[in-house]
Amino acid sequence: MSFYISTLLVYFFVDALLAWALNMQFGWGGIPNFALIMFQAAGAYAAAVVSLGPDTGAGAFQRYVFGSSLPFPLPLVVATLAGGLLALIVGSFSLRRIRRDYQAAILLIVSLIVTGLVTNVVGLVNGSNGLTGVPRPLSGVLSRLTYDGYQWAYAAWTAVIAAAVYLLVARLGSSPWGRALRAVRDNEDAAATIGLNPVSLRLQAFVIGGMICGLSGGLLAEFLASWSPAAWGYAETFAVFTAIILGGVGNTWGVVLGTLLVQVIFLQVPTFLPQVGYTGLIDALQWVLIGSLWLVCLAIRPRGLIPARRPVVSREARR
Amino acid sequence: MLFIQALGFGVITASLIAIGAMGFTIQFGLTNVLNISYAGIMTAGAFAAFIAEELHLPLVLGVVLALTVGAGVTWLLGRTLFAFFARRGAGLFEMVMVTLAVNLILQFGIDAASREQIYRFAFPQGTSLHGGPFTVTVTQLVLIVVAVAVFAGLELLLRRTRLGKALRAMAAEPRLARTCGIPTGRIVNVVWLLSGALAGLAGLAYVINSLSIDASVGTGFLPLVLAAAILGRAGSTRGAVLAALALGVVTEEVAAFGGAAYGSVAGFGILALVLLTRPAAVAGQAAGKVEVTV
Repeated sequence: MSFYISTLLVYFFVDALLAWALNMQFGWGGIPNFALIMFQAAGAYAAAVVSLGPDTGAGAFQRYVFGSSLPFPLPLVVATLAGGLLALIVGSFSLRRIRRDYQAAILLIVSLIVTGLVTNVVGLVNGSNGLTGVPRPLSGVLSRLTYDGYQWAYAAWTAVIAAAVYLLVARLGSSPWGRALRAVRDNEDAAATIGLNPVSLRLQAFVIGGMICGLSGGLLAEFLASWSPAAWGYAETFAVFTAIILGGVGNTWGVVLGTLLVQVIFLQVPTFLPQVGYTGLIDALQWVLIGSLWLVCLAIRPRGLIPARRPVVSREARR
Repeated sequence: MLFIQALGFGVITASLIAIGAMGFTIQFGLTNVLNISYAGIMTAGAFAAFIAEELHLPLVLGVVLALTVGAGVTWLLGRTLFAFFARRGAGLFEMVMVTLAVNLILQFGIDAASREQIYRFAFPQGTSLHGGPFTVTVTQLVLIVVAVAVFAGLELLLRRTRLGKALRAMAAEPRLARTCGIPTGRIVNVVWLLSGALAGLAGLAYVINSLSIDASVGTGFLPLVLAAAILGRAGSTRGAVLAALALGVVTEEVAAFGGAAYGSVAGFGILALVLLTRPAAVAGQAAGKVEVTV
C-alpha cells in the first residue's frame, strides 16, 4: 500500500509538470501542441542514455547513442535541454502564422512520424523494446534506505521539482511576458500592432514548455528505470489535454485538479486493479473513456471545472 | 536500377495515399472540418472487409462492406456529433479536438474489440507481372487502377455534373450558395458519404498492400494522407493526387536507399520544407473567413 501511494504521487507530480507545460503553451499561448508527449519522451530518452553508461557496441542487449554515465543531477539537466532543443526544432517550422487547425494537424503528424522513427531505428534508442536498466539516481548514497523508503524519497524529490516549476510557471503567468502571450492568443493582429512578435512569443512558450516536458520525462525514466515507445503513444498527449480541459484551460490550479482526476484516477489506478478479460482490455477501454470524457467536457463545461479568470477589460473592448 | 524499382513502389504507395487524400480533401474543402477521425474510419473499413474475408464471403462483398461501413459511420458522425458541436459555435480548432476525441474512441474501441491483436490479412495477391525493371502483383496493379478511377470519377462529378457544380459553389461561398437555392444540407450529406466511402476504400487498400491489420493501421497511415491533403490544398482533388505522387515517390526512394524507417520522415520533410519556405501556400485563406459548415 505504501508502495502504491508513493508511486501514484510520483506520477501525479510528473503529470502536473506536463499539465503546466501544456497550459502555458495551449492555455496562454493558444498553441495546439498535439505532440506534447514527444517532448517528454525526448527528455526521458536523454536522461536514460546519459546515465546508462557507454553503449557496448554490437551484440549488446540494447543499443543507443550518446551513452555515458553522468552523476546525479546532470541527466535531468540534459533531459531538460533535450526537450527544449526538440521544441526549438519543431517550433521553428510549425509555429508560423498558419491556421490553428493546420497547426494542430502538423504537430500530430510530427508526433506520429517521430514515434514511427524511434520504433523502427533500433540503433537510436533501442527501437520498440526501449531502454531498460536506467540506474536510479543516488541509489549508492541512499543505499541505507529500504526500497520503500527510496520510493518516498523519490516522491519527495519530484514534489520539490514540481513546487519549483509551479513557482516558475505562476511567475511567468502573471508577468508581462505571460500577458503578452495571452494577448497574442486573443488577437494576433492587434498584438502585432502594439509591437509584440507573435511567432517569437509562441516559440518562447513552446521551448519553455518543451523544457518542462523534458524534465518530467527525465524524472519518469529514472523512476521507472526504463522507457520505450509504448510509454508515449500519441494518445498520451490527449490525456493531458483532457486533464487541462476538465480542470480549466488557463488556470494553473485548475489544471492540477484536472490532472488529479484524469491522469491519476483514470490512467494510473486501473493498472493496479485486477485484470478483467484479456491483457490490455482495460488499457484500450480507458482510452475510449478518455475520448468520451473529452467530448462531454467540450459539450457541457468547455471552460473547465475551475475556469480561468476573465481579464478585466472595459465593456466596449469586450464588444 | 534500384532507383527505378523504387519509383514503381512509389507509384503504388502514391495510389494508396491518393485514395485517402482525395476522400479527406473533398470533405475538408467543403465543411472545413479537419477530420482526424478519418484514421479510425479507415481502420473500421479495413476491419469490415477483413471480417468478410474471415467469413469467406465473396471479395466484392468485402469491398462493398468497407465502403458502406466507412460511409455510414462518417455520415452518422458528421450529421450528429460534428453538427452538434458546429451548432454550438465550435471553431475550426475546436472541431479538430472533437474529431480527435472521436478518433481515440474509434481506434481504441476497435483495439478492444480486436483483442489488441495483429492479424494477417491474406488478400489474394494474384500472379506477379514483370515489365522491364518493375515487378508488380495483379492486386497492386488493380490498386493503381482504382486510384486513377476514383480520381477520374471525382473530376467528372465535380466538373461535369450539377451536383459537382453545386458542391464547388458551396465550398467557395456557403451562404451565397444557400441563398441561390442550392440544397446545402443535401450536399453536405453527399460529401460525408463520399468521404467516408473513400476512407473505407483507402483503409482496405492500405491493408491489402501491407498484408496485416490491427487497430492502429489508420492512425499509422494518417500522417501521409493528411500531409498529401494539406500540401495539395484543401478541397483540391488534383492537388491531393499530385501531392500523393510526390510523397509516395519520395517515401519509397528514401526507403530504398536510406532504410524503410526514414521513408515517412522524408515525406514529412517535404511538408516541413514547404511550411518553412511558403507558409501561405499551405495555410490557405486567412482564418477569419473560413468557418465550419456542417
